[in-house]
Amino acid sequence: MPTIDVDYVDFERLLGIELHKDMEKLNDILALVKGEAKLFDEEEGIVSIEIKDTNRPDVWNIEGLARALRGFLGIEKGLRHYAVGKPIMEVHVDKRLRNIRPYIGCSIVKDVKLSDTIIRGFMHLQDKLDQTYGRNRQRTSIGLYDFSLITPPLSYIVAKPTEISFVPLGFEEKMSLKEILKRHPKGIEYGHIVSGHSVYPILLDSKGNVLSFPPIINSNDLGKITEITKHVLVEVTGTLHETVLNTLNMVTLSLIDRGGKAYSATIHYPHEKLEVVTPKLESWLMDLDVEYVNKVIGLSLSPKQIAKLLAKAEFGVKKIENAKLHVQIPCYRIDVMHPIDLVEDIAIAYGYNAIRPLWRKLPTTGGMKLEQGLLNIARELMVGFGFQEVLTYTLTNPENLFTKMNCKRERTVKVANPKVQTLTCLRNWLLPNLMEFLSNNLHMEYPQKLFELGIVTLLDEKEETKTRDENRLAAVISHANANFSEIKSTIDAFFMNMGLEWQIQETVHSSFIDGRVGILLVNGINVGIIGEINPKVLNAWKLENPTAAFELNMEKIIKQLNAGNK
Amino acid sequence: MVELREQERKTLLAIERLGGVASVEQLTKESGLSDTAIMRAALALQDKALIRIREERRSTVRLNAEGRIHAEKGLPERRLINALDRLGGKATLEKIVEKAGLEKQFIPIALGWVQRKKWAAFDAKANTLQILGSIQKKEGNDEKLLKLLSGKDQRAIEDLSSELRETVQILKGRKLLEVEEKTKRIFEITEEGWDTLRRGIKIVTEEITQLTPELVVSGKWRKVKLQKYNIKAPVAKTWPGKKHPYMRFLDEVKEKLVTLGFKEMTGPTVETSFFNFDALYMPQDHPAREIFGIYLVKSPKYGRIDANKRVLLNVKKAHENGWKTGSTGWRYDYSLKESKRLILRGHGTCQSVRTLLSKDLEIPGRYFSIVRCYRPEVVDKTHLTEFNQVEGIVVDKNLTLRDLLGVLEKFAIDIAGADEVKFKPDYFPFTEPSVELSAYRKSYGWIEFGGSGIFRPEVTLPLGIGVPVIAWGLGVDRLYMLKAEIGDIRQIFTQDLNWIRRREML
Repeated sequence: MPTIDVDYVDFERLLGIELHKDMEKLNDILALVKGEAKLFDEEEGIVSIEIKDTNRPDVWNIEGLARALRGFLGIEKGLRHYAVGKPIMEVHVDKRLRNIRPYIGCSIVKDVKLSDTIIRGFMHLQDKLDQTYGRNRQRTSIGLYDFSLITPPLSYIVAKPTEISFVPLGFEEKMSLKEILKRHPKGIEYGHIVSGHSVYPILLDSKGNVLSFPPIINSNDLGKITEITKHVLVEVTGTLHETVLNTLNMVTLSLIDRGGKAYSATIHYPHEKLEVVTPKLESWLMDLDVEYVNKVIGLSLSPKQIAKLLAKAEFGVKKIENAKLHVQIPCYRIDVMHPIDLVEDIAIAYGYNAIRPLWRKLPTTGGMKLEQGLLNIARELMVGFGFQEVLTYTLTNPENLFTKMNCKRERTVKVANPKVQTLTCLRNWLLPNLMEFLSNNLHMEYPQKLFELGIVTLLDEKEETKTRDENRLAAVISHANANFSEIKSTIDAFFMNMGLEWQIQETVHSSFIDGRVGILLVNGINVGIIGEINPKVLNAWKLENPTAAFELNMEKIIKQLNAGNK
Repeated sequence: MVELREQERKTLLAIERLGGVASVEQLTKESGLSDTAIMRAALALQDKALIRIREERRSTVRLNAEGRIHAEKGLPERRLINALDRLGGKATLEKIVEKAGLEKQFIPIALGWVQRKKWAAFDAKANTLQILGSIQKKEGNDEKLLKLLSGKDQRAIEDLSSELRETVQILKGRKLLEVEEKTKRIFEITEEGWDTLRRGIKIVTEEITQLTPELVVSGKWRKVKLQKYNIKAPVAKTWPGKKHPYMRFLDEVKEKLVTLGFKEMTGPTVETSFFNFDALYMPQDHPAREIFGIYLVKSPKYGRIDANKRVLLNVKKAHENGWKTGSTGWRYDYSLKESKRLILRGHGTCQSVRTLLSKDLEIPGRYFSIVRCYRPEVVDKTHLTEFNQVEGIVVDKNLTLRDLLGVLEKFAIDIAGADEVKFKPDYFPFTEPSVELSAYRKSYGWIEFGGSGIFRPEVTLPLGIGVPVIAWGLGVDRLYMLKAEIGDIRQIFTQDLNWIRRREML
C-alpha cells in the first residue's frame, strides 16, 4: 500500500476547500479514493496518507489526489481536459536496447512555477511510481530535467561500461558507468537491473552531454530541477511500452496541474519503422449498460442519474443512447479495465451508506467439516484430562525439529525467503513445539500439562501441491514425578472415550528413553507414538523435569472412526 | 500451660530450633509438614499471640528470551559500535550490520541506542554511521546487569545496588526483563511465645485433623473431636485444563457462522500461485507475489494444477486480454509455469477459489474458512508472519451490492455485537466494488473489522461461475484483541503459560 506525504496547506489550496485541520472530515473525504490519513505532523505541516488502491497511481501524489477529490466534493464536474502542444523535440532510440530497456517516452512542460514544496512533492511522486508501479525501476523509471540546459534531439542509446563517464547526481567527480554501479548508492541498489548485459542504456543530448544512465541515476549537471527551473523535461524509460506511457502521463498531468503547458516529443524507433508521439492525454470510450449498473448495485438508477454520478467521479459522458452510456475515461484512470470499475465509482459517488443493506433468506444449511467435530471432541477430552491447550507457529526450524529432539533430519517444506533464521520451514511434527513451550516456562508452577491440536505439513509427491497437511494431537506432562504410566493412562482414557480399541507395541525412537516408548495401534494401524522423553532432549531444551508425551495422527484416527461407523 | 494442637506445636518448636525466626520454606524442611499445614498452624499461633507473621514483598527479576540473546552476544548497540570500531570508525549501515552479524530485527534497536547513548552519529541520507569521539569501551550499567542475570539466574531487585535498580527500569523498558513480585512470609516468636516455650506446652490430643475411612466406618468419629480448620488459610493453586483463549474465540466465531448458514471449507497450506493469485486476477508481476509479499517454497518449486484445462486457459486469457469477460485484461504474456509456483498460502481466499471450482458447489451457497496464512512480514505489535484468517463467500444469482452490505451488517451485529455500522470504499485486486466495514460499539467506539467485495467478472467467469459471488473477510485478530484487551497481536501466540493459565474464561 503506497503512503504519500502531502503538504497540508498546499493540499487545501489544490482541493479548493478549507478543512480547518479536522482529521475526521479529512478522512471522510479521503475514504472516497480509498485513502486514510495516518499521521499529521503539525510542525512540518505534512499529512501522511495511505492509499489502499494499488492500481491507481494517479492518486499517489498531491495533484492527482486533489484532482480525484474535487469531483466528489462537487467543486468540479466531469472530465478534466488536458491539452498537449505539438512535438518540439525528437528522440532517437538505438535498436540494441531491444533486450535491455527498449522504450522511452518524453514530454516537455513549459512555464511551471516550482517551489521547494512542489519539487519535494515531485520527488515523492517519482519515488512512489518507480517503486510500486515501476516495480523498483525494473519496469519503468522516471527522470526530470531542466529543459533549458538541454540541446535536442536526444539519443537513447547503449554504451560499454567504461566507455562513458559523467558526474552522477549527488557526486562531484566523474564516474564511468561501471564505477557508478560499484560506488554510487543508487548503482548498488538498482545495478542488478542492467548488470547482466554487456552494454548499458544511456540518454544523451545532441551535444553528447549525458542526461542520465537509466534506470540508475541522472546527471548532476542536467538531471535535476530547482526552484529556478521554468521548463521541465520529463523522461520515462522501461520494459513495457504501455507502462512507460502511463507513467509519463501521471507526471506530465501533475505538472500541468501546476500551471504548466505541455508539449510533446517524437520518439523514433528506426529498426521497427515506428514513430511515437508522446505523451497522449486523450480520453477513451467505454460502453456502460444501465441495466448492468443497477443489477450490480441493486438500485434502479436512471441513465441521467448515472451520468451525474459518473461526472462526480470525473468521468465524461459523451452520449446517452437508449439504455447505454458512452463513458469517456480520462487517460490517467489506468485502473479502469471493465465496466465493473465504473460501477464501483458510481456506487461510491452515490454513497455506500445511502444504500440499504439487504440480508436475503437463502436456503443454505451451515455446517462444519465432519472431521472438525471429531477434532473438537478430542480437544474437549484433553481439557477434561486437565491439559492446557496451547497455540504455536507452524513455521519453525530444523534445529528445533530434529537436533534438539535428538533425531535424524527429515525433509521438510522449506521456504526460499525466510524472514528470520528461526522460521525457515513448516513443522512436520508437533512435539518439538510443545518442548519449546515448556522450555519457555521453566519457572512456572508444575505440573505442566499441555496439548496442541494442529496441522503439520509433509512432502508428498502424489499431491497436487507436492505436500499434504495432517491434523495431529500432541500432549506433554512435565513435573518432578512425570512418567510413562501417567501419560499412558491419559491415552487409555482418550481411546476409551473415542470408542476405539487400541494396542501398544515396543519401538525405538531416539527422542524417547529406550524401553519406555511405544507405537500406538488402532485396528493394527500405527496412529502415533508415546513415551518418556530422552534426558538428552530435556537437556537440549534446558528442561529440568521428567517429561512424558504422545503425538497422534488424527487423520488416521478419524479414518478408523469413520470405518467403524460404516 | 497453653494448649496447642500437634501441628501448631511442631511448627512453634521448629521456629524455635531455627533461632526464633523462619520462613515457610525453611519450616517445611525443618518440620516435614506441608506448606499449607504450616500456614494454617502459623495463623493459629498468631491468633494466640505466640508468633508474629511479617510479610516481605520481594521483586525478582530475570531475563526474557530476547534478554538472554543480548546477554550472550552483547547488546545490539554494543555489537554495532564494536563492528564500526573495527571498520575504522565510519562505514555504511549495511557493512556494519554484516560485520557485526547483527540480526535484522535488532538493527533499528541498535541504531536507536547508539545514537541515544551518543556513541555514534547516523547520517540517514548516506546511510552511514560515524563514531563520536573515542569509543565508549567501559561497560555500562545495562551491560553489567545483563551479565549478572545471564543464564537463568533470577535476582531479587532489593539485593541490587541502587544504580542497578535504576537500570532494571531501563532494561524493563527495553522489554528484556521479566519482573515478578512475590510475597515472602517470615514467622517470628513473640515474647509471649518464648514464655510459653519456657513454661511448656500441653497438647490437645483428642483432636483429629483428617477424617479417615476407618473413623467413618468404625463409628469412632463419634468419640473424637474434629479439629476446627482456619478456613481462611491460603491453599495451593489449581490450574485447570482449558482451551486456548484465542482458539475458544475462533470456535465461537465458527459456531456463529454455521448458525448463519455458512458451510466450512478447507484447503492446503502449501498452494500453487494459481489458487493464491492467478485465479484471483492478480497479475503475475504483482508486488504481493514477490519475495517480500509471499513465502516461496524452496523445493519442490512447482506443483501441479488438477483443475480443468479449460479453466486454466480461461484464466490465462483473462489476464492477457480479458477473455470473454468484457475486460481489457492486464495485457502481458501469462506464464503457465509461474502459475504452478508453490507458495505458503498468503490468504484464505484460495479456499474460496477451490470451492467455486468444486463439483460439490451449491448455488445458492454460503461458505467460510478459518485457516493459517503466511506472509514474510517483520513481526511487531500489529503484524504476524503467520496468522489466522476468517473468510468466505456467498454465491447466488441476483446478488447485489445491497446483499454485500447486508452480509457485513449481519456480521457486525451477530459477531461483533455492534450498535451501528458504517461502510467505506475499500480495495482488493479481486473484488469490485469493494467495501470496508466499521462497527461501533458503545463500550469501545469504532473499529474496522471486515473487508469484502463482489468478485470481479475476470475472477468468476473464467472459473465457470455465471452468478455473482460476494467475498468477505473478518479482521478476527483485531476483534479478539479488543475482546481480550490486548494491545499487541503477538500475544495471540504467547508462550507465557502464566498468562494463559490466569486468563479468565469470560
